[in-house]
Amino acid sequence: MPSFTVGVPNLEAAGPCVKVSLAVSSAAEEALRKRSEAIPNPMQVLALIDTGAMATVIQTGVAQQLGLKPVGITWIQTPASSDVLCDKYLVRVAFMDSPTTVESTVVEAPLRGVSIQCLIGRDILAQGIFIYNGPVNQFTLSF
Amino acid sequence: MATMLEQELATYQKQRERLLEIARGKYVLISKDQILGIFDTEADAIRQGYQQLGNVPFLAKQIVEIEPVQNFVSQLLAV
Repeated sequence: MPSFTVGVPNLEAAGPCVKVSLAVSSAAEEALRKRSEAIPNPMQVLALIDTGAMATVIQTGVAQQLGLKPVGITWIQTPASSDVLCDKYLVRVAFMDSPTTVESTVVEAPLRGVSIQCLIGRDILAQGIFIYNGPVNQFTLSF
Repeated sequence: MATMLEQELATYQKQRERLLEIARGKYVLISKDQILGIFDTEADAIRQGYQQLGNVPFLAKQIVEIEPVQNFVSQLLAV
């Protein structure tokens, strides 16, 4: 199982952040190729590993920038609201500086601030191992 | 929040009782007002959606009596 380790200068304050590349799924790419349509370029964003997120989330607007179309819906509950209807998108997530790529149906919802544009939730973590090594400000992901 | 799949969701709501009778727990694929198929998994429904329709909006949804809610504890979510 390939793994990679990320060092974050102040892991406790910043959280386990990692650069990821978001792209259309293999199924969407195949459909676009078959119809001789352009494949949208992947987008690099900063993601936070969030064990409190039941699903992976992308910032509102990211799907449109990636040329993604919704493939489903879901209702979400947050500390501030409940039963919020959101669109879902099938996305390919590639972890930078590693060969790891996973595909998942992610939720599009507004995220506060501008730096974090993706939350890696337990749907993706369910496919691997996540080790949070606080004393040395590092975390490791294996998929 | 608004969804781009309002028409597909309305189609599902209209057909919900019949779908629950014939395919409870399975996944339905809907485009606009058309039900395109029933599948065992969400991945199968989505794959078929892309194959039949291309990169356009469609609804792949589990047929359930009570809709599950996904929980987020993060304060980063602005909803």
